[in-house]
Amino acid sequence: MQEVRHSYREALRDLEKQALGGLDLVTQALDRALESVSYQDVELAGMVVADDDRIDGRYLEVHQGVLSLLARQAPVASDLRILAALLHIIRCVERMGDQCVNIAKLVPLSGYESPKDKDILDSIERMGRHARSQVTQARDAFSSRNVELAQDLVRQDAEINRLNRAIFKRAVEIGDDVDTREWAMFMILVARALERVGDNTVDIAEQVVFVVTGLFREVSDSTPAADAVRPA
Amino acid sequence: MIPPETTSKETTTDMSTERWQSDRTEAAAEAKESSAQDAKGHGVNIEALNAYYGDQLAVKNFSIAFPANEVTALIGPSGSGKSTVVRCINRMHEEIPGARAEGSVALDGMNVYEDGVDVTSVRRLIGMVFQKPNPFPTMSVFDNVAAGLRLTGARGINLRERVHRALRAVGLWDEVKNRLDKPGTGLSGGQQQRLCIARTVAVEPEVILMDEPCSALDPVATLKIEELIDELKDRYTIVIVTHNMQQAGRVADSTAFMLEGELIEHGPTTKIFTNPNDERTERYVTGKFG
Repeated sequence: MQEVRHSYREALRDLEKQALGGLDLVTQALDRALESVSYQDVELAGMVVADDDRIDGRYLEVHQGVLSLLARQAPVASDLRILAALLHIIRCVERMGDQCVNIAKLVPLSGYESPKDKDILDSIERMGRHARSQVTQARDAFSSRNVELAQDLVRQDAEINRLNRAIFKRAVEIGDDVDTREWAMFMILVARALERVGDNTVDIAEQVVFVVTGLFREVSDSTPAADAVRPA
Repeated sequence: MIPPETTSKETTTDMSTERWQSDRTEAAAEAKESSAQDAKGHGVNIEALNAYYGDQLAVKNFSIAFPANEVTALIGPSGSGKSTVVRCINRMHEEIPGARAEGSVALDGMNVYEDGVDVTSVRRLIGMVFQKPNPFPTMSVFDNVAAGLRLTGARGINLRERVHRALRAVGLWDEVKNRLDKPGTGLSGGQQQRLCIARTVAVEPEVILMDEPCSALDPVATLKIEELIDELKDRYTIVIVTHNMQQAGRVADSTAFMLEGELIEHGPTTKIFTNPNDERTERYVTGKFG
């Protein structure tokens, strides 16, 4: 049977591409934000902040596109689930973009010649690599409708959470030097932003499961609250 | 659709007033033939249209622009004047005893209501498809499509090629190519409607009016017609009257809402269905009245 409602199908596919393309923008922002932290690059950090407009713009485009298809095409079944998921995903994209901005805004605050702690910096960089790979994995899981790949994100996210706690612990014990302590506090905030990025990828994973199975299951981490460093 | 009292006419594609006259030459027919492949639709502008049935004013001071190569949907409750508007565009309204229209309906700046305008030429340039598929009952599939060409007396054209091309354009070719000599009424409802669209397309109009073209069809046949509308707009300007708001949503670039003979709101379809300006439009599209 030939494909009917061709332009509608095309619009749906385009909208998905546009939303998932938002995750590519996040990957770029994340790369730059992490580089600006590692090298204390204030200019690069400024670019992350400025470029967030593109991510916000993408949010508006996808939001409008979803509304338009809902209003005009009366999507049902898997189409409806996809559109609901895209609305959710683009919100995650926008939030992750904001987390990159949060990281970038900490760069000038933490000072040019701040004393650094190698352990913390290593952990931040490792967290960053994890967060980045989670973003791309969330994208792949959604575009290939791969439930296993999506569920694997929960396992991956546990590592980010572990590093987040480790950074917190290390910062608490960092010693008496005021400057070092101040820097470490900023790094806690960077770690928290990365932890939030990880959480957003898990949210996307839940949407993958929802699109494929029609069931909504919170697959996110089961870490006991007392153990997790997750300010509200 | 073929106007009932058609006589021998042919028109040129140039933008001069000549195309409204009935003097046809073989050369003009050929010119039309050769340029027909890449013919584009032309916009229709309605200004201050008032349409009457006897003393009753059915369409009140109606002005709208139907842009070229776009699909415009007219929506509104029964009796809001949608069908009357489209019937005024190709001057079919005046065929009803006691009915008349005032105002201007311009195709490419030419007012079809001007004195001396040949009504048949108007209807050749502005084709119409009706609610109920109406193939000529005694004619074969082929003759149904050829009917319009024969009635308009188009000579010097390859009839067979034109008919085949029209059937392909409406996606009917593969379904009927082995039964071209069988009665058109032997086709399914959806096929019959596409046959009627082929008959309209065969005379290569500039504007196609559709008055509830899918209301007698099942959902799958409806979707096929909607797909077809989407393809046809590359070459024609399309105005579609529909009771089905979802259909307007699916096919129309812009949508106009009518109520009690008046145009309430006309805008991009997405805008009309997500955030209309007028409270009455909002109430109609959300199903709060109608």
